Amino acid sequence: MIVSWNWLTDYLRLDISVEVLTERLTLSGLNLEDFSDVGGDIAIDLEVTSNRADCLGHIGLAREVSVLFEKKICVPNPEPPTSGPPVGSITGVAVEEPTLCPRFTARVVSGVMVGPSPWWMRKRLETIGVRPISNIVDVTNYVMFECGQPLHAYDLDRLNGRRLVVRRARPGEKLTAINNKVYDLTPDMLAIADADRPVGLAGVMGGLDTEIGPGTSNVLIESARFDPISVRRTSRALALFSPSSFRFERPIDPEATEWANRRCAELILQVAGGTLHPGRIDVGAHRPDRPAITLRLGQLARILGIEIDRATVARILTALGLEPAGSDATSLTFRPPSWRSDLEREIDLIEEVARIHGYDHIPEDRAVPLSSTSRGHRERVEGVIRETMIGAGLDEAATFSLVEERLAAPMAPGPSRPSLRVEHSSRRRESALRQSLVPSLLTARQHNEAHGQFDADLFEIANTYAPRSEGVLPDERTRLAFVAGRDFRGLKGIVETLLERLHIAKPLSALPVEVPMLATGRAAELRLGDAILGYMGEIDPAQLESLELREACAATELELDVLLREAVLVAQNRPMPPFPGVVRDLSLVVARDLPWGELEAVVRAAAGPRLEAVDYLDTFEGGNLPEGTQSLHFGMTFRHPERTLTGEEVEAAVKAVVAASEERFGARLRG
Amino acid sequence: MTTDDPLSTALAELDALRSEGLSAFETAATPEGVEAARVEFLGQKNGRVKSAQERIKTLDPSARKAYGQRFNAVKGDLESAFEAARVRVERKSDARARVDVTLPGVRPRLGHRHPLTQTAEELIDLFGRIGFEVARGPEVEDVHHNFDALNIPPSHPARDPLDNFYLAVGERTSGVGPIGGDVPMLRSQTSTVQIRVMEARKPPVRVIAIGRVYRPDTVDATHSFMFHQVEGLMVDRGVTMADLKSVLRLFARAYLGRDVTIRFRPSFFPFTEPSVEVDMLWHGGNRWVEMGGAGMVDPNVLRAVGYDPEEVTGFAFGLGIERLCMRRHAIDDIRLLYQNDVRFLRQF
Repeated sequence: MIVSWNWLTDYLRLDISVEVLTERLTLSGLNLEDFSDVGGDIAIDLEVTSNRADCLGHIGLAREVSVLFEKKICVPNPEPPTSGPPVGSITGVAVEEPTLCPRFTARVVSGVMVGPSPWWMRKRLETIGVRPISNIVDVTNYVMFECGQPLHAYDLDRLNGRRLVVRRARPGEKLTAINNKVYDLTPDMLAIADADRPVGLAGVMGGLDTEIGPGTSNVLIESARFDPISVRRTSRALALFSPSSFRFERPIDPEATEWANRRCAELILQVAGGTLHPGRIDVGAHRPDRPAITLRLGQLARILGIEIDRATVARILTALGLEPAGSDATSLTFRPPSWRSDLEREIDLIEEVARIHGYDHIPEDRAVPLSSTSRGHRERVEGVIRETMIGAGLDEAATFSLVEERLAAPMAPGPSRPSLRVEHSSRRRESALRQSLVPSLLTARQHNEAHGQFDADLFEIANTYAPRSEGVLPDERTRLAFVAGRDFRGLKGIVETLLERLHIAKPLSALPVEVPMLATGRAAELRLGDAILGYMGEIDPAQLESLELREACAATELELDVLLREAVLVAQNRPMPPFPGVVRDLSLVVARDLPWGELEAVVRAAAGPRLEAVDYLDTFEGGNLPEGTQSLHFGMTFRHPERTLTGEEVEAAVKAVVAASEERFGARLRG
Repeated sequence: MTTDDPLSTALAELDALRSEGLSAFETAATPEGVEAARVEFLGQKNGRVKSAQERIKTLDPSARKAYGQRFNAVKGDLESAFEAARVRVERKSDARARVDVTLPGVRPRLGHRHPLTQTAEELIDLFGRIGFEVARGPEVEDVHHNFDALNIPPSHPARDPLDNFYLAVGERTSGVGPIGGDVPMLRSQTSTVQIRVMEARKPPVRVIAIGRVYRPDTVDATHSFMFHQVEGLMVDRGVTMADLKSVLRLFARAYLGRDVTIRFRPSFFPFTEPSVEVDMLWHGGNRWVEMGGAGMVDPNVLRAVGYDPEEVTGFAFGLGIERLCMRRHAIDDIRLLYQNDVRFLRQF
């Protein structure tokens, strides 16, 4: 809301500087955006919160200033002279939708001379950024910016039947608005119509056909109230926004409706001449109830933490226009003024007292009661994850949850359900809620490649969103994902390191799996015990190409919940073994397609109770090995807890391993 | 024994030979210098040690044993001194053994935590120290938690589909029901977590919620359609606005420095009353910078979760993590935080 300094001085004396005024307004709820000199006047731009529609006019602001600086305020009481036949004999108004239009008032001025406004009115409108049009239109704008009540003036002679009907638009009706655009109306919209057709969109904009023109001589002044939601819906549906719709979307002063009409008539007589017909059309002239509110004085300290004495409370509320409506030893009762329909509850009065009294009175050095907390399990586990990822040389990324449809699919085997989407014009392309973080990370990798960085190894901890057949909300899971220009084992090693750092006891197992995004034969499902930990693998070359990635890379995506469940944050010491271990290496030649994991299981089963560890070392293929075979090279560590093992014991165990491997897989020792 | 005793003279000369030789080897700085000293003292033909050895023949046989013992000691000392000198100068001149200490080191490759994470973790730690635990809630929310329970009535403009990301569910009814309908949406604020926490526990409550929120703002240097908020909530008997101000001041000083002061400016949020904007001012600065919104939990919100506003009071505050992060790390464009350019990420 832009305010003219000179205009404000119509209602009260301003013997303060604009800096002092705006500082005080800022600290009582009207935040200063900016002020500037406009040829002898000052335009002050104030931010008005949506609950304070009363401050969308100069009188409302003057009231606020009068409270803050304890000044007298003088609001005009228009009593324009009338003559000629009464208005009711000239025109009529029918309101067919009283819930959408609780009040409609109209007056008629005949014989006006349309022309430019006087300089002072033009100047004030220009100061607040409103373009002067003609004296009649300028008066309606002037009164709106004076009291916050929007008005409209019709050329009475252009109204078919010389009357107005407030009704829903009919299907197929159109309106050419004063902005020269044609709008298709629907029955959701409240129209102001004459006998035949819509001549305005209630509260939003008037029609071109019936607007005031140079030849207008008889003017119908409309000052009404409309349902805020209806105005808002119409305005949004047509993308048609006006200072009028802005005000009608908020709770305006119901008692300003009639005042604004009178004031408008008075100013028209003053700047355009003519005669005002006696009386007014007034449909639905009910006064909304304004229930009294009781403020228990003890509540001030209970909410604000400071005492404010009874006299100060009463002074502030009275200055704000509330009328005393009773009191007792511990409370005061007030009735709010018509322009403050936002005041309904005790807490509203507490806020009013607090903001005028000043929040600077509230101390900032209270001792906050102690409460002991330690970092939560999840924060600590996430901390270990980040530490491990960083140690593995991965940089942390932050990517958007909304992506293009093609990047939203889950990185998992089997058919996937279509991703959820949001409905918004600003995100027509990137509207899908992702089911995997990996495509986003790959896209980030592509961005880096495009900027000459081919080593963007990235990780992220964020949510994925999968549709659910039951329940309202999607299946939302936090996941850890990482992508790196490394091979399968390079990434699996990061997973293993992470599990070790989280002291997870359950063994990790990997099963070959087909996942659309991952290369065939180079992808795995990872399990911790029975739980699926996630999926990993090398990105399919076709995927790389479609994402315009030059360098090969691999990806992993893990369920945070599984890690949270299994992680042990407080590691336990195990005594170091007092007796030496004995290490034996073996190279066994087996079929090329035998997975290491199967051989390892047989080794573990056969090696006897003294086996402590089996460590894969490497794989050899080719050379003088028979076609279709491979040599798996691994180490075994044996140890006895109470004594040193003898060579014979170890040799017996090794022999048992070789024998079992031979029996099970036809393995033979590599010569 | 007197000084003119030939043995005494010879022994004294051996001692002199020893000290001259040691000094020559010790001061020799180059292989050439060491070689010269070797020739002079230990040379096979004309070395001075050789001459000293010859001298034994000139001594009386009774003196030869004493002389011989001393000679052997001196010879041994000088040979060791030569060996030490040789190793010393050889090491110095061996190019392969020398390292160019001005060369850069070979660095292990470590990753970097995202600056938003660093900011969030710092906030969690700071608020943790004053007793706030971390709470979480879903990012896709129902309108009950995003609006109804937060005292945002069905007719409130904040529900407008233009200002929120509702999920697409085919045809949405228009003209009736709440603005925006009742389909799930991406949460527009972390205040939803307040409601979930209070629905699940009895007071006292002291939590912060950190997470992603979504608003369809036009993306520019200071706006993103997705950003992060930290929201604090404290509900108990006797919690006042003075507690709110004190907690926020403790936080501002711990996070930004001891010379930071804060102020409250009246504002309006449906879920708090009184509502304020929190501004901060650095010592020496002349502009108050907006830090976030705060207020006393609205009695309607307390009632919506089954708390009795006559029993307990509470405060809530919300801060934008991007704003704090950008200010702290001199980042001037919010989009940098989401581009994941490693040249950017590796600075932090």
